[in-house]
Amino acid sequence: MTAARTITFTLNGAPVTADVKPHHNLIEMLQGEFGLTGARESCGQGLCGCCSVVVNGRAVSGCLYLAQFVDGADVVTVESLDTREKLSPVQQAFIEASAFQCGYCTPGFIMMVTQLLDENPDPSDEEIKHYLTGNLCRCATYPEVIDAVKLAANKRKAVATA
Amino acid sequence: MIPFDLAEPTSLAAAIKLLNPDDPTIRPIAGGTALMLMMKSGVFNPEKLISLRKIEGKFSTIAADTDGLRIGAMTTLGALERSKDVPKYAPLITRTLRTLSNVRVRNVATIGGALAHGDPHMDLPPVLMALGATLTIIGPGGERKLPVEELFAGYYETVLEKNELISEVHVPAQGSKKGAYFKVTTGSADDWPALGVAAVIEGDAKLIKSLRLVASAATDKATRLKSAEALLSGKTVTDDLLRQAGDAAIADCEFIADVRGSVPYKRELMKVYVRRAVRGAMDGMDGAH
Repeated sequence: MTAARTITFTLNGAPVTADVKPHHNLIEMLQGEFGLTGARESCGQGLCGCCSVVVNGRAVSGCLYLAQFVDGADVVTVESLDTREKLSPVQQAFIEASAFQCGYCTPGFIMMVTQLLDENPDPSDEEIKHYLTGNLCRCATYPEVIDAVKLAANKRKAVATA
Repeated sequence: MIPFDLAEPTSLAAAIKLLNPDDPTIRPIAGGTALMLMMKSGVFNPEKLISLRKIEGKFSTIAADTDGLRIGAMTTLGALERSKDVPKYAPLITRTLRTLSNVRVRNVATIGGALAHGDPHMDLPPVLMALGATLTIIGPGGERKLPVEELFAGYYETVLEKNELISEVHVPAQGSKKGAYFKVTTGSADDWPALGVAAVIEGDAKLIKSLRLVASAATDKATRLKSAEALLSGKTVTDDLLRQAGDAAIADCEFIADVRGSVPYKRELMKVYVRRAVRGAMDGMDGAH
């Protein structure tokens, strides 16, 4: 009764199909079917942000999202942000601001900061803190993350006006 | 998670047909954020879930007119937060949403799910109760209306039949009424609350003409504080009167102890936060503490 079903969706711009069981979550599918490990399950409760994935333009916690629910959707993961030659402005800013230590939470932060800057290109400290309340860094690099967001905002503005 | 089957009907009517009033192992799933937690921890092990995500799009829309807001039950909390109409007609909802959970969960969780789950820790139910919101509920025999105030039967329990679904939430326009929602989180500001108090008040700077006060999280279900309301209604607010109202509120509640506090602790919180919520509403300030 819990047979796998084939779903079709767009993954990082490319049309794909996957066989998923109803009880599999989005992270299990991205890792198991596509070998994408940028989004990872950490707290498993939607609190920590390590599993951030963008579905139809909105960030979701992949660990609380049934894989089946992305049938027909547009799914974007952290692996889409850089090209072989170049990191995205947000990725580059995290390196320049040293906004990580162990790096486990970093893909989730990168995804959420990218979303934040898409919605609000010039956020205040308060807006940054509010948007990132659902992202936990156990190395406590929060001050550097805020620096990185501001740096990324400037980089994106520079790219936009270039 | 333990395997289950998943159906994805494309209409609300079809979803209702798939539900069985006598089978608790079949359950509707909307955004799924709360249900996923229950399934992961093994608290709930369904045999079949009926997804509501593919039902008619009209159940995800927000309509506004002078009567207030009509919010489709499948509307996500994120859509509600971003709506330009919600702050015009019920600004207390927009302010509350910013203090609730996080961006990703709000992007997925729905208003109907937040109500039907019957979780007393959620922030939106007490606010909707204080605003006097009503529900449209659809079942096999047709639709019925129910005030949100009458939805909750106990701890994670509602009066909904297992084959009934909330289709719409109607929120009367706040108009000149002032509102506040104060919550206490014993960890960070975005943790589950130990107590929530919503106050919606009709009155002027000092005199309360009428009010609705609702407590949650410390209680087994979102609970109207009728004794406190009776004390405050038609009165000029003084510190002494607010103290009496805080004491009276305790008698209205069935307190629960959990990791966020003991019953005696929550009783003390209630006394303080009834006072703060009423003052906060009159001053036009809500708070999350």
